[in-house]
Amino acid sequence: MASSAPDKSGTPDATSGISAGTGKALTSSDVTKLGLRTLFLQASFNYERMQAGGFLVTQLPALQKIYKDDKKGLAAAMTDNLEFINTSPHIVAFLNGLLIAMEEAHEDRKTIKGLKLALFAPLAGIGDAIYWFTLLPIVAGVCSSMAMEGNPVGPLLFFAVYVAIFCMRIFWVHLGYDLGTRAVSKIREASEKVAKAATVLGCTVIGGLIASYVKISVASQIVINKDVTIKLQGDFFDKILPNLLPFGYVFLMYYLLKKKQVSPVILIVVTFVLAIALSFLGVL
Amino acid sequence: MAITLGQGVALAVMAIICGIDFWLEGFYIFRPIIVGTLTGIIIGDAPLGMMCGGITELAFAGLTPAGGTQPPNPVLAGVMATVLAHTTGTDAKGAMALALPFSFLMQYIILFCYSAFSFFMRGADEAAAKADVHKINLINIECTAIIALLYGIVVFLCAFVAQDAMKALVEAMPAWLSHGFEIAGGILPAVGFAMLLKVMLKKEFMPFLLIGFIMASFLNFSNLLPVAVIGIALALFVYTQDESRDAAVKKALAGIKVAQEEDEEDGI
Repeated sequence: MASSAPDKSGTPDATSGISAGTGKALTSSDVTKLGLRTLFLQASFNYERMQAGGFLVTQLPALQKIYKDDKKGLAAAMTDNLEFINTSPHIVAFLNGLLIAMEEAHEDRKTIKGLKLALFAPLAGIGDAIYWFTLLPIVAGVCSSMAMEGNPVGPLLFFAVYVAIFCMRIFWVHLGYDLGTRAVSKIREASEKVAKAATVLGCTVIGGLIASYVKISVASQIVINKDVTIKLQGDFFDKILPNLLPFGYVFLMYYLLKKKQVSPVILIVVTFVLAIALSFLGVL
Repeated sequence: MAITLGQGVALAVMAIICGIDFWLEGFYIFRPIIVGTLTGIIIGDAPLGMMCGGITELAFAGLTPAGGTQPPNPVLAGVMATVLAHTTGTDAKGAMALALPFSFLMQYIILFCYSAFSFFMRGADEAAAKADVHKINLINIECTAIIALLYGIVVFLCAFVAQDAMKALVEAMPAWLSHGFEIAGGILPAVGFAMLLKVMLKKEFMPFLLIGFIMASFLNFSNLLPVAVIGIALALFVYTQDESRDAAVKKALAGIKVAQEEDEEDGI
């Protein structure tokens, strides 16, 4: 097997030397604050990057403490933390804690990135299952029946439960942070190999994300005669490969971004106008 | 009974607070049970508010924003169900149905914002590249402020100024436009993923992307955990392969050192 050359061309290997010995940048109260700041997760929610902006805002004070005067390092960390993320606001604090522990240890950027990508989607699934599909119907059911009888305990209890759930974020952030700190010492010796493995994990999950987040469904039909119509989506595209169009569109965007240097702004405008226009024409 | 100007303003302020909470999904004071109760308190009929809030809450408990689809707006549902029950004298159930158009109106507005806010990400990218913390904070505040303002305006208009006109607006809105917003929401993440791939994707990682994509496409499962587990399996495989390769190289190098007579290896 041809040795797959590690794709590091002079990337910082100095990381392990600088900050490993010199105590920690973050105190326990910093971590608690990080957990409370997860409130901002969706502050700039949008379809292109979803919770990315809010996630970065959550991490920012801790990142500033970690990088101090290292503007370049801070910029790199900020850029990475601004990548696509969409997860459950209730338990995102776990991810914040875990990743900030890695940032604090100046772990390889690729490891941090891969880990974040790998974790957010499963966390979203778990969070939705617990909070939206199980807890909310139960709490809403109990409290609503009280409220409908004019009993103020209903809304008050509802509020109390969700304040308690919010406070759980402090627990999640510390859990994540402790786990991250312990993992970091183990990763250290083989950071390059771990970074590569993390990228493998990240890329696998991105493949899954494309299939589950990008949705393009053609509504057009070809009418042959009164009895026979061919549904373009169900009878044609889905018969070739499910999610063929989403995959194709992502790689069209990738091609335009990388090879043609088209500005992302143009891609967003074109995509948006296309969506409205094709909806008007009844194609999508 | 009509809504007074003071009540209209108070409702708008309440909607701004609860609307921000819905935007951030923080303390769940955006749920109809809370919004309805608060509305009832503002218009001076708390039991009615709890009644309408409770009924609306039960109806909305099954409607979740999970998975990216936006359900009818719970804040507007809670406010308008109570307001309409109060002003028209309809019973709570009927008022909830009457409130639905307003709920849809706010839903469309938010859907539009989800698309429109994508443009803020360009400025955010530039700010991140320059480590401009202030600008990142500002962008997030701006987005949230826009949402807050929209809630205030819409609730003030719906509850106090022009109920009929707002309802007519929703009903006049063509289906293709709201459907178009939803479609845009389905496709726009493609740009986000393309940005991600631009940085991450190298030829050696393409196989893993394909495996993840095919897995998720054929696995009819709402959670990506199985894909992540496959990803961990692949990552472990790659890691152990690299480890044994490194060990083999080390061994070979040690062998060369032993046979020191030949000195052809110093090239690099």
